[in-house]
Amino acid sequence: MAALRASGRRLGTVVGLVGLCLLLSALTPYFLTVSNLLNVLEQTAINAVIAAGMTFVIISGGIDLSVGSLVALAGVVLALCLQAQAPLVVAIAAACAAGAAFGMLNGLAITWGRLPPFIATLGMMSIARGCALLFTGGRPVSGFDVDFRHVATGRFLRVPAPVFITLAVYLLGRFVLAETRFGRYVYAMGGNEEATRLSGVNVRLHKTMVYAVSGLASAIAAVVLTARLNSAQPIAGIMYELDAIAATVIGGTSLMGGEGGLGGTIVGALIMGVLRNGLNLLGVSSFVQQIVIGLVIVFAVVIDTSLKSRRP
Amino acid sequence: MRLIRLATLVLAAAAVAACNRAPGPAAARPRVALVLKTVNNPFFIDMQRGAEQAATDLNVDLVVQAAERETDVDRQMQIVENLIQARVGAIALTPSGSRELVPAVGKANAAGIPVVVVDTRLDKQAAAGVKTVTFVGSDNYRGGQIIGEYLVSASGGHARAVVLEGIPGHETGDSRLRGFRDAIKSAPGVVVVASQPANWERDQGFTVFQNLMQAHPDADTVFACNDMMALGAVEAIAAAGKTGKIRVLGFDAIDDARRAILDGRMAATVAQFPDRMGRQAIESAVKALRGEPVPAEIGVPIELVTRTNAAPGSVK
Repeated sequence: MAALRASGRRLGTVVGLVGLCLLLSALTPYFLTVSNLLNVLEQTAINAVIAAGMTFVIISGGIDLSVGSLVALAGVVLALCLQAQAPLVVAIAAACAAGAAFGMLNGLAITWGRLPPFIATLGMMSIARGCALLFTGGRPVSGFDVDFRHVATGRFLRVPAPVFITLAVYLLGRFVLAETRFGRYVYAMGGNEEATRLSGVNVRLHKTMVYAVSGLASAIAAVVLTARLNSAQPIAGIMYELDAIAATVIGGTSLMGGEGGLGGTIVGALIMGVLRNGLNLLGVSSFVQQIVIGLVIVFAVVIDTSLKSRRP
Repeated sequence: MRLIRLATLVLAAAAVAACNRAPGPAAARPRVALVLKTVNNPFFIDMQRGAEQAATDLNVDLVVQAAERETDVDRQMQIVENLIQARVGAIALTPSGSRELVPAVGKANAAGIPVVVVDTRLDKQAAAGVKTVTFVGSDNYRGGQIIGEYLVSASGGHARAVVLEGIPGHETGDSRLRGFRDAIKSAPGVVVVASQPANWERDQGFTVFQNLMQAHPDADTVFACNDMMALGAVEAIAAAGKTGKIRVLGFDAIDDARRAILDGRMAATVAQFPDRMGRQAIESAVKALRGEPVPAEIGVPIELVTRTNAAPGSVK
């Protein structure tokens, strides 16, 4: 029954995405071309990957405001490693480790420190940003060799590499959420944390892991972003947390925790990506764009809740 | 599930319909784009105005786009990518990152769309592999020198200055600052007691300068790398009841700064004529589009603005 309801909700967002695509196809001849659709997928990759981690956190009943800063921090770690002539694999591993470790600190502050997730990750938002600025002296780090840039610029059958990275993240994330014990605990903690604890689940451990997953996702996004811009900026990713939360919520994951999934989040991220792309193609003024994006976020959730309440 | 299948079908039908339609024949007038760093700074609004006038004069369509935040370089890159998809004829770009926007310029090159760089230069090293039509802008280094020379003469060679920097790593701010520092070298009595970034923004100019006043109560001058931060400092000075006691120097000569100079809250700024930049940028873009020659660099004049010439419009 719950599964049926979940798929029904996702259907709402899928219909929304398709409707948006149809509308844009009617409005501009430049939207529905292979090169533009690939362009949208490439542009959506960064937000989609961050939002995948955010989905874990929100299902578990928490929130992670530090993801934007973690993107900057992991990017800086990656760039400094590359600059120090570290092999590509080592540099990427170091960035992922940094993201996961700082995410884990979020989790420890929430579980052992008993801080509300909002406060713990708000603190981390500032700490990680400060670290990124400190490590670089405030300056962007750039100038990498061509190998690394393939992470963003490489193509296979015309499809840009970031799209494959996103796909891999979502397939893996979906497997973890649906097929593993950890995944079931993520839902259980968000549904009823006390009951989960009483049934013998180590809530502290699994909750800490949730935030590490979110940090790791931010780090993967940072690798893509750094390769894309050929530069790691300590001021990168400001407000990315809000885009990630928006994608997750548009995708039907409840901010109350306990329900939702990655299938919805990817559609949510695509809706935002398609919208921004379409508004650019149409040449809509930047001011109006912000209004439209805000309205879409609000309406997506309104439609979602009304669909939900209609079901028995 | 059935709905998903239906949706896929509709999408596929639309795709077929789209393929039958050759994009673009309707656009008889050439279309050029101006991509700004942001539209919440009067400097760029003036630039947009100049560009719009040029577009009207030249009978071309103009699309103006900007990221919500100046720090969001990836968003600016997305805008350039999307404009490439929209097949604009030429792009005039004020890069929000001197190195970070180089890949975007490369993509425009690959699509055969000429790019005019406006206001902020691309990093020479990073931009080695990409082509731009021209650079339209002021010599920010010279501007920094002008305001530094003004400080030396106005202070009689003795000043303790606080500097408010732009976003670290921005070519524009770095050049202004280098010019300023080089100019005050001639006067050993003029020293910089603190230099901190306030990221081009008014509110940050306020708080950063408020803090620096605490740390350096003897500071008698503030040089902000743009007027927005200078105006923030003006408010911080007013809040501390020190209006008139601290010399405020800015950059850009936006209208608010001119008014502040006229009523004595600011001492000087440097006029940069962003409207002329916008006009020249669009004119160059259209020339490139028509295959006409464009000089590799188009300088836009720069001028010191003090009380004598601060009335809005008087320097033009």
